[in-house]
Amino acid sequence: MNDRLKALYKSQILSRSKDDTRFFELEEATHVLEAYNPMCGDQYKLYLKLEGEVIQKASFKGYGCAISRASTDVLAERLEGKSIRELAPLISTFQALIDPDSEQPVEEISTEEALLAFAGTRDYPERKQCASLAWDELESFIAQL
Amino acid sequence: MIDTAAVKAQFPIFNQKTPQGQQLIYLDNAATTQKPQSVIDAISDYYAGYNANVGRGSYWPATSATSAFANAREKVRGFINASSHKEVIFTSGTTDSVNKVVNKFLLPDLKHGDEVITTEMEHHGNFVPWQQACQQTGANLKVVPLTETGEVDYEAYEQMLTAKTKMVAITAVSNTLGTCNDLERMIRGAHAVGAKVLVDAAQLVTHRPIDVQVLDCDFLAFSGHKLFGPTGIGVLYGKEALLEAMPPMVYGGGMVKTVSLDQTSFADLPQKHEGGTSHIAGAIGLAAAIDFVLAQGIEPMHDYTQSLMHYAEDKLRKTEGVTVLAAPEERASLLSFVVKGAHPHDVASFLAEKGIAIRAGHHCTHPLMQHLKLPGTCRISFGVYNTREEVDSLVEVVEEVRDFFA
Repeated sequence: MNDRLKALYKSQILSRSKDDTRFFELEEATHVLEAYNPMCGDQYKLYLKLEGEVIQKASFKGYGCAISRASTDVLAERLEGKSIRELAPLISTFQALIDPDSEQPVEEISTEEALLAFAGTRDYPERKQCASLAWDELESFIAQL
Repeated sequence: MIDTAAVKAQFPIFNQKTPQGQQLIYLDNAATTQKPQSVIDAISDYYAGYNANVGRGSYWPATSATSAFANAREKVRGFINASSHKEVIFTSGTTDSVNKVVNKFLLPDLKHGDEVITTEMEHHGNFVPWQQACQQTGANLKVVPLTETGEVDYEAYEQMLTAKTKMVAITAVSNTLGTCNDLERMIRGAHAVGAKVLVDAAQLVTHRPIDVQVLDCDFLAFSGHKLFGPTGIGVLYGKEALLEAMPPMVYGGGMVKTVSLDQTSFADLPQKHEGGTSHIAGAIGLAAAIDFVLAQGIEPMHDYTQSLMHYAEDKLRKTEGVTVLAAPEERASLLSFVVKGAHPHDVASFLAEKGIAIRAGHHCTHPLMQHLKLPGTCRISFGVYNTREEVDSLVEVVEEVRDFFA
């Protein structure tokens, strides 16, 4: 197996795609976002418990490839305790990391390993939508607030 | 006997490496086949050598274009053994053909309480149009379930047929599982209750010779691009009396006899159903594709790709962690499998890195995926240019992927 692909799926993505810590239905959720890619069938529900504008809890449930599941997990992990209004920079950082047209070196965008793991999708434009599925859904949710 | 190397040499796409520097191993022929040089040449010869609109021009090159277009229709007629060129309507593809039958044949007479039967294995192209027609009119869409081996439950089907059944829409071959359906039996059953039958032959055209007169289907649809031809051209076969009775599928130029301010009389078949300028280059390309197929021989191609499919099925079944889906009595030269612990898209990405092109996902068969309780599958589908060595490479990478995700 070649290094490029191994890099893409490096232990971060593989282990996160099997991590059940945040993989459950959140009964006290105040908002349920549905991230669905009709082209491939990947489908996740992102559960958010908001108090005012602050996300108290976040979890997700659904199915999809290793990349989409891991990226949703990384997203859910980053949401707790944050105000919904302050998420825009995080989302745009992630989107820049996986943007195959971006000229900016990934190391300049973020130093966080959990996020950098997804930068490998720059070489696989067809997998960008896997990485960004839940992130894009959250972005449009925020835009509608 | 197929000389694979000689056949493959006719496909220019294989004269290059993938961006990862690999030889292309193309196992996605059920999505679309590659194009031989003869098809590419036929299209460019038309544009470069005798481009003109067909039907009316009395000058060269219109005369040459008109005759090539007519020859293409005749070629298709012979390919499916229709009794007349009037029964061959050029469309943009299988989906377009199905939609035209739904909108112009079924819908005008479909009433509340009527029934349309289709199966759980249909491609969305032969499912959604019927479903929408039923929803618009209050007709009932009955969906024939599948057996455990991935075949149509024929007894369930026969019990569904009633005097209210207006239409049966069935695929000849499941594009996901490869299952070949007993069309003769299903058509006989439908006709016994007075229903008409449309056959989705998109996956059948490279598998078996088609004889619409023996099949006795009322309509049959297929696409050129799954038959080594270009995209954007397809065929709707219909029995002459049915096409004659139907209102025109598309109104416009080229499909009329006379037009006055208050009325229009329509052209004879097949022009009546082909309003607007046809995809002339597409039809000419399709004719060249049929020539290519006939030169190889459908039977030898069938035997060769079947041997590859069986070889792959056997090897994959013996591979730990891999499950081949369905076990139909007759399978076309395609199959679906899943790898334990690895999502189909992840499998496909790893294969793509090695130059191996397979399809991963739902294959436009959501109802079938719901039946299988799977989000998607990995599908491989064979063409005349594939080899056993390519199957070996596939299985080798599948094993690596399985171990990686384990």
